[in-house]
Amino acid sequence: METAALKEQLKKQIVEFLNLLSVKPEDIKDDEPLFGKGLGLDSIDSIELIVLLSREYGITIQDPKEGRKILVDINTMADYIEKNRTK
Amino acid sequence: MSRILVTGMGVISSIGNSVAENRMSLVEGKSGISILDVFNSKYSGRLPVGEIKTATGSLREKLGANEPGVTRTTLLALHAFDEAISDSGLTNIQLSSIDTALVGASTVGGMCLTDELYHDANKDADGSEYLYSYDCGSVNMYLQQRYAMSGIVNTINTACSSSANAIMYGARLIKNCLAKRVIVGGTDSLAKFTINGFNALHILSDEVCIPFDRDRKGLNLGEGAAFLVLEREEDIVDKKIYAQISGYSNTNDSYHPSSLSENGDGPYLAMQAALRFAKLDVSQVSFINAHGTGTENNDEVESRAMLRLFEKPPAFSSTKSNIGHTLGASGAIEAVYSVLNLAHQELYPGLNFTNPIPSTGLIPVLAYKKMPLQHVMSNSFGFGGNCSSLIFSKA
Amino acid sequence: MFYIHQNTCISPQHTFLNVDIEELRESVDNKLAVIEPGYEGIPPGILRRMGKAVRIGVGAALPLVKQVDVDGIIIGTANGGMEDCIKFLNQIIQYGEGMLTPGNFVQSTPNAIAAQVGLLTANKGYNITHVHRGLAFENALLDAAMLLRENPAGQYLLGAVDEISAYNYNIDHLAGWFKKGNFSSRDLFLTESAGTLAGEGSAMFIVNNNAMTAEAFVQDANTLHTDNEQDVAARLQYFLEKNLANGDEIDLLLSGENGDSRFKKYFEMCESILAKNVQVARFKHMSGEYATASSMALWLGCRVLKEQQLPRHMIEIYTTKKAYKRILIYNNYKGNQHSFILLTKP
Repeated sequence: METAALKEQLKKQIVEFLNLLSVKPEDIKDDEPLFGKGLGLDSIDSIELIVLLSREYGITIQDPKEGRKILVDINTMADYIEKNRTK
Repeated sequence: MSRILVTGMGVISSIGNSVAENRMSLVEGKSGISILDVFNSKYSGRLPVGEIKTATGSLREKLGANEPGVTRTTLLALHAFDEAISDSGLTNIQLSSIDTALVGASTVGGMCLTDELYHDANKDADGSEYLYSYDCGSVNMYLQQRYAMSGIVNTINTACSSSANAIMYGARLIKNCLAKRVIVGGTDSLAKFTINGFNALHILSDEVCIPFDRDRKGLNLGEGAAFLVLEREEDIVDKKIYAQISGYSNTNDSYHPSSLSENGDGPYLAMQAALRFAKLDVSQVSFINAHGTGTENNDEVESRAMLRLFEKPPAFSSTKSNIGHTLGASGAIEAVYSVLNLAHQELYPGLNFTNPIPSTGLIPVLAYKKMPLQHVMSNSFGFGGNCSSLIFSKA
Repeated sequence: MFYIHQNTCISPQHTFLNVDIEELRESVDNKLAVIEPGYEGIPPGILRRMGKAVRIGVGAALPLVKQVDVDGIIIGTANGGMEDCIKFLNQIIQYGEGMLTPGNFVQSTPNAIAAQVGLLTANKGYNITHVHRGLAFENALLDAAMLLRENPAGQYLLGAVDEISAYNYNIDHLAGWFKKGNFSSRDLFLTESAGTLAGEGSAMFIVNNNAMTAEAFVQDANTLHTDNEQDVAARLQYFLEKNLANGDEIDLLLSGENGDSRFKKYFEMCESILAKNVQVARFKHMSGEYATASSMALWLGCRVLKEQQLPRHMIEIYTTKKAYKRILIYNNYKGNQHSFILLTKP
């Protein structure tokens, strides 16, 4: 899958998985921080995104703290998925 | 208003089936934490838990509770309830009197029957015998019916602080003349539901928990039940008295659904208010039975709150290193343990501790000792920031 | 006991914005589901996680606690968060206890409603959730009464909520609590058959000790577990003797009759004890049956005291009334948990 397409798919999945009611996938910028300022996700979301990576891409991240280093923005997530996906 | 005194107790946990057995295990520094065994789960054979190694069927037989739909959570409650009322010498007439109240707590209720609940909720079959038993209220509904109780009956669920709040509510019923005597407590059994829930939050440890230790990794779940009988001093004739319940408070940390704020406002305010209610100064607290779950968040925040309030905190430890976190039962079981501290003027060793948390340097009690104790505080902090603090005093 | 001031109700009827209880919304698929408002007061980042019970509980509470400060939050719910509970359970089964998302678990605890209200208003006061099935609201009410005795200058949010989750409905349906076949709420009291209709709702009240500008006074409440109607009669006699001065009468019995013929005897017993000229009204054709439905009865009672009238569709036994001063709410849940609440005009 091409990187651009992966990023679009990822944005849709994040909006759906986290039930982000007031956010459209196309409004999420590739370099917008997911946590803190930006999309404003929290610690429960970081755990849920780890589950998303496991279910959709077969990637296992054991430690949520390690996960935060990967879950910075769409760019870092897509990059990690491309390198580590098993699905 | 006369004092409110504890005249009976009952407890079942992974370290004993009675108050006496629990006390002996605490004195000897015994742990009830073992590898999950009793029920079928992906985590069986892997996860350390405070499991009561008695099968549900055996409990049912022993207690003569063979009606359909009685869950393990209810059986544990019945076990502790029976011990407490016998210990207090309550007659059947007193139990069923309109001025006897029952205030219990459970977070699991009948959800320990995960598979039956799944089939019933998804209408997969004709309906199991547990259709009436899934909610948290089912436990006290059973006790009310079994003993034909006609006074106030209530069930509280505020996650981990549930039975501490139940104890507080019961004491207040007496203070407000809505009951003369109250049986208060809580129960919870191990369930796939809670095991998976806490695991999903990454706060379960795959090793034995080490409360307040620098290297703590999380909590171990446990199961159990405890009840205490509270009565007004003026109504007590020729009975042993364990302790007085002299202070209580409930506050809200108001920070996050499943973790405490850095400053620990909730815990701090709860402890402070309980002391104020008991008209005690911080220097008068002899010992704290801490919430101490062994999670990174709780133990650090709780420590900070203790330092904020006490400056030099009194002796403290967490009995969750003996029995794990018994959720809805924890407040009540730990209240029983706090009363035992006072009744026997002794402290029990906290287990598994090696190194203090670097930012606090606090070290729990590590060895058994006899010492004069006047006031013991017991703390319980739950999901949703629900923080409760109870104070028991030498009677 | 205490005074009720501002109050809200999210229910299957028009009770929240643009209140109009003359118009009667009917059940659909044997269920009376709430009319959900827009929830503008709840930040989207928090709203997205909330199951229905938490949404309607918080949605009803927020307008009140944003207007006034409260010293504590007292909620009654028998099954709060049940939908999230079952969603998490389904995950456990579907993924064989593998990697699961924790959001459903955190939202499934019944105290999520009280916790969220506390969180959204940074309220660090007393926060409690009572869950004793059909008496969850009454226990919350007694808790509020005690708090106001202990803290006379205080002010509290008291309320209740329960939802029809698909799963809850299935369990109660299997247990035989609901009517079989297609049934309309309009016909709830017209047939002799077992079962009732599922309902849901949330009612919230600001309570304190000030009579000024109060809508109603909760004079007393009493609860009882029994399936013997003689016990119910005896408790009602006791309640009336305790609370009514010589010559005082109940003007309106607001009855929790729910169309289940098995439980008619309790309501008939209560009606027979009250004075001959008591008016009798019912509300479960509006709310449906759920464990904390008596909270909607309390909301309706406040409304009757304020407006001094009630819709024709509620009245079972009509008698002329000069004024509504004293309302007795009698409810039971599944024929076993009974409650009396006495509400009077301040």
